Amino acid sequence: MMFNLKTDRSQYPQPGPDGKLEIDLETGKYLKLWQGPNHPGITGNMSVELTVCGDEVVAGKTHVGYLHRGFEKLMERRSFIQVFPIVCRVCVPEPDFNEYCYAAAVEELAGIKVPELANWMRTLILEMGRFNSYMMFLGGISGALGLGVVGQWMTYVRDLMLDRFEELTGARIYHMFILPGGVRGHLPDGFAGRMEEVLRTAEKYLADVEKVMFRNAVYKRRTKGIGVIDPKLFEPYGVTGPNARAGGVAKDLRKDAPYLVYNELDFEVQTGKDSDIHTRVDVRYRDIHQSIALIRQILQKMPKDGPVMAKIPNVLHWQIPRGETYIKGESSRGEYGYYLVTDGSGYPRRINVRGPSYTHAMALLEHLIPGTNISDVAQLMVSLHTYPPEIER
Amino acid sequence: MMKDLIAKLKKHYKLTEPDYRRADLTFVTAQKDELRSLLIALRDIEGFTHLVLLTAVDWLEEGLFQLTYMLNNRAANRTLALRVMIPRANAVGDTIHDLWPTAETYQRELREMFGIDFPGSPRVNDEFILEGWTDMPPYRRDFDSLAYSLQTYRERPGRVTHDPREHMKKALYPDQKPEAAK
Amino acid sequence: MSLRDVLSPYTAWKHLFEAPVTIKDPIGREAAERYRGFHQNDLSKCIGCGSCEDICQNAAIDMVPVSDPKTGDSGLRPMIDYGRCCWCALCVDVCMTGSLTMSNEYTWVDSDPDAFRFTPGVDLKSWDAEEKGYKRENNERRLTGTHRPEMGMLEPEARIASFGEIVHGYTRAEAVIEADRCVECGLCVATCPAHMDIPDYIRKVREGDYEGGLKLLYETNPFSQTCGRVCTHACETACAAVHEGDAIAIRWLKRDITDNVPRERYFDLISKPDVPETGKKVAIVGAGPGGLTTAFDLARAGNEVVVFEALPKPGGMMRYGIPEYRLPYDVLDHEISVIEKMGVDIRCNQRIGTDITLDQLKKDHDAVVLSLGLNQGRSTRVPGSEEAESAIDLLRRITAGDKVPVPKQVAIIGGGNVAMDIARSMARLQRQKHGEVGVTVTALEDFDHFLADDEEVEEAREEGCVIYDARGPQEIVVKSGKVAGLRTWKCKAIFDAEGRFAPKYDASDEMVHPAQMVVEAIGQSADISLLGAELTEKLEWNRGRIRIDQNGRTSEPWLWAAGDLVSGPDVIHAVADGHRVAKSVSAMLQATRETH
Repeated sequence: MMFNLKTDRSQYPQPGPDGKLEIDLETGKYLKLWQGPNHPGITGNMSVELTVCGDEVVAGKTHVGYLHRGFEKLMERRSFIQVFPIVCRVCVPEPDFNEYCYAAAVEELAGIKVPELANWMRTLILEMGRFNSYMMFLGGISGALGLGVVGQWMTYVRDLMLDRFEELTGARIYHMFILPGGVRGHLPDGFAGRMEEVLRTAEKYLADVEKVMFRNAVYKRRTKGIGVIDPKLFEPYGVTGPNARAGGVAKDLRKDAPYLVYNELDFEVQTGKDSDIHTRVDVRYRDIHQSIALIRQILQKMPKDGPVMAKIPNVLHWQIPRGETYIKGESSRGEYGYYLVTDGSGYPRRINVRGPSYTHAMALLEHLIPGTNISDVAQLMVSLHTYPPEIER
Repeated sequence: MMKDLIAKLKKHYKLTEPDYRRADLTFVTAQKDELRSLLIALRDIEGFTHLVLLTAVDWLEEGLFQLTYMLNNRAANRTLALRVMIPRANAVGDTIHDLWPTAETYQRELREMFGIDFPGSPRVNDEFILEGWTDMPPYRRDFDSLAYSLQTYRERPGRVTHDPREHMKKALYPDQKPEAAK
Repeated sequence: MSLRDVLSPYTAWKHLFEAPVTIKDPIGREAAERYRGFHQNDLSKCIGCGSCEDICQNAAIDMVPVSDPKTGDSGLRPMIDYGRCCWCALCVDVCMTGSLTMSNEYTWVDSDPDAFRFTPGVDLKSWDAEEKGYKRENNERRLTGTHRPEMGMLEPEARIASFGEIVHGYTRAEAVIEADRCVECGLCVATCPAHMDIPDYIRKVREGDYEGGLKLLYETNPFSQTCGRVCTHACETACAAVHEGDAIAIRWLKRDITDNVPRERYFDLISKPDVPETGKKVAIVGAGPGGLTTAFDLARAGNEVVVFEALPKPGGMMRYGIPEYRLPYDVLDHEISVIEKMGVDIRCNQRIGTDITLDQLKKDHDAVVLSLGLNQGRSTRVPGSEEAESAIDLLRRITAGDKVPVPKQVAIIGGGNVAMDIARSMARLQRQKHGEVGVTVTALEDFDHFLADDEEVEEAREEGCVIYDARGPQEIVVKSGKVAGLRTWKCKAIFDAEGRFAPKYDASDEMVHPAQMVVEAIGQSADISLLGAELTEKLEWNRGRIRIDQNGRTSEPWLWAAGDLVSGPDVIHAVADGHRVAKSVSAMLQATRETH
């Protein structure tokens, strides 16, 4: 059966009495198509169940559960220090946010004041993490569009930053460096110099990305005006971070609810106005440059000396009085937060991780998908910058 | 600012004594039957338009689930978390997907992980993360994840550990532990 | 669409001839200096406390036996299952000795999964000597406390003015901080002669459950108030925390429990168990810690127990040997009253051989326990030593309230804790009588090998005592029948090559310490004359000591021995003896009941 959906809408599913599209697979007009969980356009382990009519998608459902490890439950069986090695694993590309939010939540409920230098170190690490997360993002979005070379460059640049993570924290991916009470160590000698080399290399490659991606006719055609999120949807769907900023919402928790040492740093909130894929990538691209500037600024402004760990109770039987708190920050994807509930025992009562992907890649994505072309689904998903582990902690 | 807001809300709603955690974060317990109206008031009048999260805390010993609705007023940088306590047995919450469509996801997860039903919430009974799960909702406190894993997975054979104190006793003074003579 | 946008992507070709940035062979790539790679364990530093196992959230660590347990070392070492390890290095951070570190080695391929489970340091690996790798910054242990709160004490000026107790005891806040430091490894338990449940009662302090703590103390030690003040605390030398910072103040925490339970509550908490009377009678000679512990246990088991004490008050050396400023008499009185409440009949002023014979005791009782203190001072036997006072005798007379001579200058021979006790007691008396202190202590040992506890030496000095080390007594100078001083030579060596006591002196380094009283404090012995010739003959001996089996029973089936007499001068040893003997006596009584 051949027909042109663009001109002949009669074949398009019609709304039923409840206003929902009636999709009867038996008619043979529709096809179920699974995008993922193993797909180059998927940043991680999730899948979207597409129902297509011709090459137009009429419905999409997000499926997660491919890497559920029950972190939140697991943490309830761990003492407060034992949760520390677990939290970073909730998010591979930007693990440090978990470490910071968890540590800050514990510190708040336990009444621990973190030394100033530790806050600078934490800020530095969060910006390094943001940089890396964006590297993965640029690689992902270019991969989704078949622009593999950018992915390779970004992997290389990210690797250089991982080298810095390695020398600073002792690990490349799961840094386990932001301990409740502070951080585990000072900057190694000569760190700033080596970081500067990485940042310069990054800038060089980003200039290439500019030429190859942003000044690429194909890229422009496939991202401009596509995947537009109506800013009216931002509040109902809990859209935060670059996704919202690309729609003109100048909200950045680093500015609006300054944590760590952000109120001592100079930076601007990066925004766009078209709210399409292109703008979302562009906002992030500018945010990368801002992260680079922030890393330089932090290394320059941070105190040269001082303690990095507060005195903490004996961690082997650390009990925290009953209470609850929520610590949030602006991750590369939007509002990231930890909701910690304690009950006076040596174990957390409940830890709930609020990851931005939870709202972006579920309800929002499912809302955005109908009406898109099959070939655009990948970059639409990636443009929301999704990390599935945040959804299924 | 939060104190004024709470005072204002208290005129119309039954609220417990709030926990002013930080200048920008307050927790307060509300009545289940007033929740919806409270959420609408907060969203439409007080500027708490952002649903930060919706989750549950299992107070097994007290037979209660705590539902936490965390709302944020972005312009004022204030977060208000409403706690609603519901009985654990046949736990049912009121759906708010029509207030915030994204709540659908939260409610689906709560249904699956805690067994809290939200009648009327779209696809609330669809599997979310777990597939073919037959045990009790796993995020309930009485679900023993260790027992589950011991029963589901094989322990690596040959692992034995020793408690230093017991080990030393066995080696150095096996019978000498003085106990009141019998 | 501009032409530029079509051509611009081709600029990527400029990288075509660049060298690849990938690492050809990642195996062998050196990781960063701080990298968290495979573990290293310095076996000579590791004490097998198991804190690494406790903190491991992956249960990747098993403690496995590697060497024989000894004081402060369980002989266990951590075996790591790298199938579970998540490389967080909390085990390194929490390590109590700093023995556990990480190398920066991380590339290792093996087809046998079991190869990745091994005991670092025991199973030798190529990275064992690698300098690089994760270490704690500045080698600081930051996850558990390293230093104890300072104990509140009377200032030297205040304490020298009286015999009032010096140590205040911890405040609640201090006790919590101190109890919090304990990692509950339990290495100390083996070292305590009475094997007290140390980690458990420290936990009670932390939790504020003092009544539960007191009950726990009494399970192993009816002299916890005394031990909380004067225990030799060998446990603290075995404490895992001693390797980096201070040992946990186990003694003070024990005291904290006893101080925080109101005295009258003791009688409710430590009530006599509801057991049937056995009808058996046991006599105990000596109301010191050994004898009274035996009495406590046996009375609680339903036996009739009578304690015979030669001196006017019970307590033995705890009362007559330890100065009041270290162990106040009311504390001791209260402690003993708890024991009496168990139905123990303590008869004072009953000297065996004078007031009642051992034979009589044997006739009237089913068993007899000898629990004698070391109440006879040893003499230096240097010229003039017949004019010297004995420290132990002097201490007894001070306690008894006898009038002792208090000259302006006193010289003490000896460097142990008894020497410090008498020096400080005499200092107090001098201060009361003359307004100033004039005590000189001469010890054979040099300060590097001193016998007395450091704090005793320090406090004695603060109170005005002058302490000379490495001085050997040569003569007690007696002029016209009166002591005039002590002549000493420099001591060059105390033991000969075979380790026998054979001091060598440097006669050219002579000092004469002016003194109107010289006190010998060089050791004590028990007065065993009360045994009588016949029994002495009958009993089996071992190098001058009564031969006993491991349960304290002598070669005479009705007679047991406990306390300083068999274990040397120490309260906690005496308590341990008391329990052991009570158990043995009980078993015998049980056996006779069953046969008759």
